[in-house]
Amino acid sequence: MKARALVRLWSIFGEPLWIVVSIGFPVLSSLALSLLYYSIGAGNYIGFAVLGGVMVAFWGNVLWSMASQFNWDKQEGLFEIYLTSPASITAILVGMSVGGIVGTVPTAVIVTAIGWVLFHPAVAASWGAVAITFALTLASLYALGMTLSSLYLVYGREAESMNEVLQEPVSMVSGLYFPSVGSLSPFPFALQIVVSLIPLTLGMDALRQSLFSSPGFVSLWVDLGALAVMAVAFLAIAAFSLKALEMKGRRDGTISVRIR
Amino acid sequence: MTRESTRSVEVSGLKREFKSKSGPVVALDGVSLDVGEGEIFGVLGPNGAGKTTMIRILSTLLLPTGGAAKVMGFDVEHEPEKVRRVINMASGAEKAGYDFISAKRNLWFFSQLYGMPSALAEKRITELSETLGLTKYLDRKFYALSTGYRQRATIARAFINDPKVVFLDEPTIGLDVMTARSIRDFLRSEASKNGRTIMLATHNMAEVEAICDRVAIIDKGKIIAAGTPEELKRRLGAPALVMEVSPPPKDLEMLRLVAGVKGFTSSADDERELSTIQVVVESDAASKGALDAMTASGHKVVASWRKEATLEEVFVALVGSGFKEREEEVGS
Repeated sequence: MKARALVRLWSIFGEPLWIVVSIGFPVLSSLALSLLYYSIGAGNYIGFAVLGGVMVAFWGNVLWSMASQFNWDKQEGLFEIYLTSPASITAILVGMSVGGIVGTVPTAVIVTAIGWVLFHPAVAASWGAVAITFALTLASLYALGMTLSSLYLVYGREAESMNEVLQEPVSMVSGLYFPSVGSLSPFPFALQIVVSLIPLTLGMDALRQSLFSSPGFVSLWVDLGALAVMAVAFLAIAAFSLKALEMKGRRDGTISVRIR
Repeated sequence: MTRESTRSVEVSGLKREFKSKSGPVVALDGVSLDVGEGEIFGVLGPNGAGKTTMIRILSTLLLPTGGAAKVMGFDVEHEPEKVRRVINMASGAEKAGYDFISAKRNLWFFSQLYGMPSALAEKRITELSETLGLTKYLDRKFYALSTGYRQRATIARAFINDPKVVFLDEPTIGLDVMTARSIRDFLRSEASKNGRTIMLATHNMAEVEAICDRVAIIDKGKIIAAGTPEELKRRLGAPALVMEVSPPPKDLEMLRLVAGVKGFTSSADDERELSTIQVVVESDAASKGALDAMTASGHKVVASWRKEATLEEVFVALVGSGFKEREEEVGS
């Protein structure tokens, strides 16, 4: 687990261009939204935009470096090396997650620092709750990434293209830059219920509550409970489905399934 | 049957079928063999013969549909976790490394999949790199390594965990002669000095002749001959006949009619308007018969000579055609 975490960190910081891209995109999107809110006099939303910049970095990492990674590993022949070793595939995924989280922290810090220096967003934080919320949000997000990684192994590139399709819509409905659930949401209640099944939605709702004392969709503790359940459930699904996939591979000679 | 007292690999009646749209495809059809400790065992055959399927079953990536196989006494079907602790594998086709980290860090990472203490892993990386001539390139990022050095790193990875048995699938494919030779020297030394068992799937005859203690020739999922390379070649009894013929014949059916001709392969040289035909014969009389048949068909035999039999000719003698022709038959 530790070794895979280190590989992720070495890879993230081993390519200067990737560092620029992984920091640049969240910084720019956060700045753009912050400036928009500032210019229309919605100063109380600037904090949401800065928080969104932080979380979009983690969300991108979950999609492109967690969900897709095993599929890329399979194409390169690395997945077979994992399978023929005594190492646990779930432990490798957990290591990948830890490396991804630690490797994304500098981006999160830079986005926060720039947002803070330029806009001084009003914060009314309960820091203990923020820490717990942040940890549970990341746990559920990365556990979702583990589940997606097994899905992407099954459907290969066809499923990976879902990343492209879903990234922006999920970013929008999960409320990365504005509250998508609760009293401040522009969405109908039914849609709010549906999008609450995405851990990012509840995580953002909980983070806004704990950082800015913003009104939430449900109470902070309900958010945290749901995030904890999601983290455990996604982790269990990932472990089970990866084991099942390994057996399918041994039985059928392939783990891929064609959609068409 | 094995020359060694301890068996590392035991395969008995191994079968594997794959489903396909046109019905079941038999990749392995009742293969049995034993490989002894410290032996380099070659599995030789054309593409599609079943070599890779066998390696994948033995390395726990695939389940057999019949028969049984054990590696170091552990059943590959029911005890894959135990098998995985004592084996490693590599393929010449794999990339097997993360591009943006160094070769050394890649090797260290792969050692950790086997739970090796870091200090031991570092020592092993140093030893393997020195033996494989990789030391100068250890700190280079994986993407910056040439194909040859990347393959050396892949071979180092396959030995990183001090495995008892190593499965290699075409380990020198696409490599230059010097790199391929240095990898073969390394494999030879790992087997003889460290008692490691190496099972090598390949269609490279020269590789098998150079390093394998024993070889099984496999065709259409069945072992058609097994023994030391020398034993197999001796079975032919007579050397092969090579003839250069002009103009290149459209077909070689006339040779099939000659008594004592076991098989043949040919290659055309369009520039010289010549065909080089290798004929596997049972006797000198069959050689003369083949030359006469060629002349009688209106072709000029520009030159002819006898040469020592190779493993390809053993294969030709057994199935009547060469690897290339067999691959075309299987593919069609």
